Amino acid sequence: MEKLLNKNKFDTLIAGLKKQGYKTVAPKKDNRLVTLEEVQDASEISLDHVITNNSIKEFFFPKTEKILSYTLDKNKVEMEEPKGFAVKSVIFGTRPCDAFSLPVMDKVFNWDCSDKFWVERREAITIVTISCDKSDSYCFCTSVGLAPDAKQGSDVLLTKISNDEYLVETVTEKGENLVKEMESVFSDPPGTPDRQVATVEEKFDLKKIKPWLDDNFEHDVWDEFSNKCIGCGACTFVCPTCHCFDIVDECTMTKGDRVKNWDGCQFTMFTMHTSGHNPRSTQGMRWRQRIMHKFKYYVEKFDSTLCVGCGRCSRVCPADMNISEMLELIETEAGK
Amino acid sequence: MDNIYRPYLMTISDMTDEAPGVRTFRLNFSDEEEGKNFKFQTGQFGLYSVFGAGESTFCIASSPTREDYIECTFREAGRVTKALRELNVGDTIGFRGPYGNVFPIDKWEGKNLVFVAGGIALPPLRSVIWNCLDLRDKYKDVTIIYGAKTVDDLVYKNELKEWEARDDINLVTTVDPGGETPEWTGKVGFVPTVVEEAAPDSNDTIAIVCGPPIMIKFTLPVLEKLGFKHDKVYTTLENRMKCGLGKCGRCNIGCTYVCKEGPVFTAEEISKMPDEF
Repeated sequence: MEKLLNKNKFDTLIAGLKKQGYKTVAPKKDNRLVTLEEVQDASEISLDHVITNNSIKEFFFPKTEKILSYTLDKNKVEMEEPKGFAVKSVIFGTRPCDAFSLPVMDKVFNWDCSDKFWVERREAITIVTISCDKSDSYCFCTSVGLAPDAKQGSDVLLTKISNDEYLVETVTEKGENLVKEMESVFSDPPGTPDRQVATVEEKFDLKKIKPWLDDNFEHDVWDEFSNKCIGCGACTFVCPTCHCFDIVDECTMTKGDRVKNWDGCQFTMFTMHTSGHNPRSTQGMRWRQRIMHKFKYYVEKFDSTLCVGCGRCSRVCPADMNISEMLELIETEAGK
Repeated sequence: MDNIYRPYLMTISDMTDEAPGVRTFRLNFSDEEEGKNFKFQTGQFGLYSVFGAGESTFCIASSPTREDYIECTFREAGRVTKALRELNVGDTIGFRGPYGNVFPIDKWEGKNLVFVAGGIALPPLRSVIWNCLDLRDKYKDVTIIYGAKTVDDLVYKNELKEWEARDDINLVTTVDPGGETPEWTGKVGFVPTVVEEAAPDSNDTIAIVCGPPIMIKFTLPVLEKLGFKHDKVYTTLENRMKCGLGKCGRCNIGCTYVCKEGPVFTAEEISKMPDEF
């Protein structure tokens, strides 16, 4: 289904969603940062950015979340299931790369057995994406098989067609239902819309990456490229597809929660054994794990690259490590 | 939808101190129905938890032929194992599992078995040893070679005595040089050397090896020298794990998730993995 949405209808749309019982998450500007967070009102929404600072990940897989609660009374343990974590919501104005991270992550959270905390949120949340009308030098979605107006993972895709207007395309049944629910804010689309979509330069040839990784577990580039890495793990936290986590207990004497927290492969402790032995004892090994996981292991296991080309890891890196530069380097090595 | 992170509640019904800092718990399902429905196979592991302290990964150290309970053996080393040691008979712990693959003991029927273990790595082999001993007629000669740093560090001392007394088991025990006592009648030497001296016949024999990485590293070449083919040598790996379900992303060696495709591997499978142990 195709429709037209005028910016001046955002107010009615957000108010209408609220009325229908949706929580709305959208890009919100706070000083220099634009972050996806809950908004009450369309005036809070900011659309003048390349990409939000945080990824969509935390709305499906929060930084920290209860996976079990319990009460302790002498020898008696009573367990209680966390409730109310999947809230009917609309994420409005996320980017195609972020939206695509969802079907990519569905694979790991559903293979063999399903993580209900991920699955139930996926069911409760509708994704309304806005195609990118601008990009920056960190973007490389086109190098990992995506596009600034890719539809995969979105329920509804909005694409700018003039300063005030968006073409609305429904992608899934869920998206179609949402548009029907909010019917009054949409009008009929023009016959030949002028889609304003950013250009993103293709930086490397993905087809050349995996064959090189298959043969080069041992290679000098791992240490050389990661020499400046300080192991802060920021890259893993801003990444929409980094899904590693820790499980810890937080409690008082009488009650507690078992919580799942974001963790990252760039930390020394991540793989350290109780004995002190560490299978990934150097930063080079940990950096190799990050690249291998995204461009080899995940591909072999789930037939999908674990990277959507959003470029956030490179934007936030305090040591200016750039993942697409690493992949360009691999492409060069592969050509030797 | 079920919560895959929800543990079973289990009651500690018995405990044994095995060595300094090492204790075995016998665990029964607090809910009888859950206990009846619970099935596992030898080689599998689980996540044991102390409510308030967290979860820790160990193998199931008992044999599935002993159906009424499971056992785990752990050494106090960190927060969770310290909290475990503070528990008493009657206390409740959490258990998630069974996870991972199994020792293919059906495939081993009619063959000789050689078990090689070092230190705290006897617990995972104890499960498969007892499983095979409980089905003793199905296997030919059984050899167990077990070593620890000191005499005191040998775990399952009572069971070692029981195995020694049986004439259908060839038990060789050893301690590292300097770890012996005046009364010690076993060997003195490192496990790989002792395996070489014991020289078990590799013909129609399966070897099952578990120990610290350094022991495995030096034992595999010895077995190869004795004529054991890589696909006849089994081991069980342990890497740091949090979920046990192939999601938390840390136990992999290359493409292989130890929690899903392992923990049991043949030496042949291991030889194909990248050097990331």
